[in-house]
Amino acid sequence: MAETSMDSSSAAAGIDLSQFYQVFFEEAGENLEQMEQLLLELDVTAADDEELNAIFRCAHSIKGGAATFGFADVAELTHQMETLLDNLCRHELTPTPAMVDVLLQSGDALKAMLARHQGSGGAEVDTTELLFNIRAMVSGEAPVAALTPRASAPETVAPAAPAVRPAPTTGQRVVELQVGPLSNPAQADNLLELFKEITDLGQIEPLPEAPGLHGVRRFKVSTATPESDMMDLFTFHVSRDQVKFVAYGDDAGQAAPATPTADPGYGFFEPVADAAPAKAEVAPETGYGFFDNAPGAPQQAAQAAAAPAAASAPTPAAKAAPKVDKPAAGGLEASTIRVSVEKVDQLINLVGELVITQAMLAQNSRSLDPVVYQQLVTGLTDLDRNTRDLQEAVMSIRMIPMSTVFSRFPRMLRDLANKLGKKVELVTQGEATELDKGLVEKITDPLTHLVRNSCDHGIEMPADRIAAGKPEVGTITLAASHQGGSIVIEVRDDGKGLSREKLLKKAREKGIDAPDSLTDQEVWNLIFAPGFSTAEQVTDVSGRGVGMDVVKKNITSLGGTVEIDSAEGYGMRVAVRLPLTLAIMDGMSVGVGEEVYILPLSSVVESFQVSAEMIKTVGGSGRVVEVRDEYMPVIELEKVFDVPRFDWEHNSGIMVVVEAESGRVAVLVDELLGQQQVVVKNLETNYRKVNDVSGATIMGDGRVALILDVASLVRRSRH
Amino acid sequence: MHSILAVDDSASMRQMVSFTLKSAGYNVVEAVDGQDAWEKAGGRTFDLVLTDQNMPRMDGISLTKKLCESPQFKATPILILTTESSDQMKQAGRAAGATGWLVKPFDPNKLIEVIRKVIV
Repeated sequence: MAETSMDSSSAAAGIDLSQFYQVFFEEAGENLEQMEQLLLELDVTAADDEELNAIFRCAHSIKGGAATFGFADVAELTHQMETLLDNLCRHELTPTPAMVDVLLQSGDALKAMLARHQGSGGAEVDTTELLFNIRAMVSGEAPVAALTPRASAPETVAPAAPAVRPAPTTGQRVVELQVGPLSNPAQADNLLELFKEITDLGQIEPLPEAPGLHGVRRFKVSTATPESDMMDLFTFHVSRDQVKFVAYGDDAGQAAPATPTADPGYGFFEPVADAAPAKAEVAPETGYGFFDNAPGAPQQAAQAAAAPAAASAPTPAAKAAPKVDKPAAGGLEASTIRVSVEKVDQLINLVGELVITQAMLAQNSRSLDPVVYQQLVTGLTDLDRNTRDLQEAVMSIRMIPMSTVFSRFPRMLRDLANKLGKKVELVTQGEATELDKGLVEKITDPLTHLVRNSCDHGIEMPADRIAAGKPEVGTITLAASHQGGSIVIEVRDDGKGLSREKLLKKAREKGIDAPDSLTDQEVWNLIFAPGFSTAEQVTDVSGRGVGMDVVKKNITSLGGTVEIDSAEGYGMRVAVRLPLTLAIMDGMSVGVGEEVYILPLSSVVESFQVSAEMIKTVGGSGRVVEVRDEYMPVIELEKVFDVPRFDWEHNSGIMVVVEAESGRVAVLVDELLGQQQVVVKNLETNYRKVNDVSGATIMGDGRVALILDVASLVRRSRH
Repeated sequence: MHSILAVDDSASMRQMVSFTLKSAGYNVVEAVDGQDAWEKAGGRTFDLVLTDQNMPRMDGISLTKKLCESPQFKATPILILTTESSDQMKQAGRAAGATGWLVKPFDPNKLIEVIRKVIV
């Protein structure tokens, strides 16, 4: 029996916990996100048990993993959060907004800690205040007996925790320092030297080796130096993961989260006759136990026999195991890799060139006799398909859903609304809309500004809202959608809206020429003027009037536009329209005279042959075409771009119906040349902004074709 | 080969436990919570059930109770993994019919060590 037990222990000794870290990080990240969401949704005045339990479970789950995998700081903080949440679940405390705040802040701290553990750097997270606040909330309002029976006595020194009791980390204290396992135990003598050299560090005395901790040097340290500072000094001599602080002389509480592997204590529910050598080993209530007469519970004799065997096979997982079973990477299946954006961009560029080459080959091969060059033609067809697939796959690397941007707003808005004393609800729509990562990064700041503006200047104070007959809680809506070839992100609020008079007055004060004859649209656009702020008081929330012009500038620099709609007393809508400036798009090429233009395929609705009698002239110059009982404005590309005509006989006879901004126009062209993928080249950076054109591309035959800005064509038809 | 049903809602814990048990030569069936475990337990037997306590849908104690009430699992040892070593939890475990408990965090060796005591 004893041998069996020993063998089995050593068989598992080589398990490297780090293989589970990635899964733990992902899981903890999900839990944190869920917790934040639940906390934000939590109605403090009427929190139901189910919600509180769900929040508890998030913290609990993170704690379990962190403790198991040795992330002591994470485990400690989550443990305190859990204690607070447990009290809430048991109705021993009633939730307050302050608690929600502290839990949210703890969530932020945890995110930072996890990021640090994942190696993304960042400063060490100081949780002293958070821990203090949580403990104060737990002990200040709850009777001591609430959760922790033994918490009453040592509360003042180190607030004791029920299951895990971490060593105190600050203040004058005595802790046990464990170093190892070391291949050369003399290495640890350097630490003794260190304490001699730096007298401020405190006192250090070696302790005898613990029976359960082979190769681990133990010291008694009396110090007032923060643990992290000591750690920094020690790491000159021994690696960080070999250093552990545990509570000095604390047998039962050895299961500190910081030291899952150093836990020397385990014992049995029933006292064992044959006392195990290590004193901690007979301590009851540690590790595990069995219930009497339960199915499969080992008998006394078996336990007694097993105890020394187990004691002689201590369990430092960090110990270098002689034979490490290399796992079949099962734990990392769902893992991701981080790649620099430059590499992805380079890939996209190369694929772009490949697409051009492929288009060129396809065009050149059209003149070949398919009978003679059958294999070549088949190969080119395959190339076409593969290029397309490759390109889609590469592009999808960069596409991320808008939810990654939107997800930051609930929290931000909550903090902001609290600060301003307002009540605001955030509604998000179209979170699944995908956007290029580069755009997402650049649009985040302008959007943040717009949302802040809506909350600060748009939404009224609760009392004012009630007085105005509106619901007390204001609503800010964030909506994203694909419209034609562009992405529209709207920020809407049901606040007080813009005031025409105020804006005009303000503009004149600023010396801006603002006659009364301006249209509403023009008046709204005044807020984009540099240095223009509509708030009577400058607040620290929405900046000092440098906001909107910067927002506009940023969006314009992305090739986008900003539109404002507002109705005084009812709210305002800011629509950010970002053109698809992605490197490649599907286009339909159309011919007008000798010129070729590209229409974004996503905006093309249909095309048909048109006869002269279908086109009617209205109001003098406007021309419309009747399509299935519907009249649509006609845009003659020939006239828009002054295409020179050499062939006077020829008349444009094809209508292509395109859609954008919920409007449709029929574009009159000579011929449809086909559809193909085009690599978008920015015209503005290479030439200058051209009306109705969103970019240019190089065709398979080497000619340059302009890509039409459908939205602009639609707007043109409205004037 | 002995079969163990490992129940935990945390994927990392589940993987760790499962990997540890497999390395020690056990057959492992994983379940993500009590409800899932109950569904997976139907129609077969296990030599041991290892369950987390705090899980959504059905917690470890409820699962234990349910398993112990079914004739099929009446004699199956059940270990509860828990972060709380409070007497209250233990009493609940005992009342539900569990064989024993193991406090989290534990390291893989300890898990095997405890299991070897139950499944010989």
